[in-house]
Amino acid sequence: MTRALKLSGQAIALAVVAGMLGLLVWKLTHQSHPPKLGGPAPAFSLKRLDGGGTVDLTSLRGKPVVLNFWASWCPPCKSEASALEAAYRRYRAQGVVFLGIDYHDVTGDARTFLSHHDVTYTTLQDGSGKVGDKYGLTGVPETFFVDRRGRLVGFHIEGPITDSKLAAEFRRGVHAALSS
Amino acid sequence: MIVRLAAALVATLALAAPAAAACTHPRTSLSYMEGQIMCPTCHTTLDQSDSPAALRIEAEISKRIAQCWTADQIRAELVQNFGAGILAAPPRKGFDLLAWWLPIGAVILGAGLLAFGVWRWSRGRDGPEPPPEESGLDAESERRLDEALARFE
Repeated sequence: MTRALKLSGQAIALAVVAGMLGLLVWKLTHQSHPPKLGGPAPAFSLKRLDGGGTVDLTSLRGKPVVLNFWASWCPPCKSEASALEAAYRRYRAQGVVFLGIDYHDVTGDARTFLSHHDVTYTTLQDGSGKVGDKYGLTGVPETFFVDRRGRLVGFHIEGPITDSKLAAEFRRGVHAALSS
Repeated sequence: MIVRLAAALVATLALAAPAAAACTHPRTSLSYMEGQIMCPTCHTTLDQSDSPAALRIEAEISKRIAQCWTADQIRAELVQNFGAGILAAPPRKGFDLLAWWLPIGAVILGAGLLAFGVWRWSRGRDGPEPPPEESGLDAESERRLDEALARFE
């Protein structure tokens, strides 16, 4: 009787330890790591903020893409909104696709923001922040460049592109995406 | 920033006043909801956060409360917008139920094991005296040893 109880206790303890170990392995294998710049851009499929379906990054293969993560509650995002729109109008003739990704934001606020700043390029909704996490976001705004082969250009921009130094980086990023 | 937010909140409440008047069920409160909803950028509940994202979500909740939305309706809208991670506690259904029942099960199991251990320990203390160990001497030697020891008493 005692021996059976002891064995049962040991089996339960082993099962608990195995369960904990399983959870640890699951957590480690499902952790998101920042993407390797120069490597493949993390794939995603997100809903359009205007409600018109979804956009899949892989469907844009063959085109240079500018990915701008932003939120309506972020003051620097407000300051760069018109500069991004101007850049979109300038580069779209060369086939550059601009995607705004609205990160951790209230949908109504985001729509008001787009309307207020006359943003006309496609904006996608990342309310849960999963795509932002895939890209290793440290805050907003952040801008990434994806070349025609679906690879991230070797640098990205943390901060508004209205900053003179970052504006030059932005142009360099677009040209790098275009030239590959 | 906060002043502007407060002004927007007051304006929203004023606009929503007619709707509030028609409210037919007990109204939820912002302070209650703040403890139920996480700030997505700082990973604390809203009542612990002053981040811009948290303040915007609070403003949205206030707007919905003024429009007479129930707590469940507000939660559902926030989950649709931000995903289930916006909730401070997992939903009490489906796989998420495990998050509620596993700790309770662990406490019950631990208490059971503790009770069993205490029962075994107390039973061991109250048990019969163990028989004296054999000395390995024959009867004659035992008698002589007892006599020798008696002289020292």
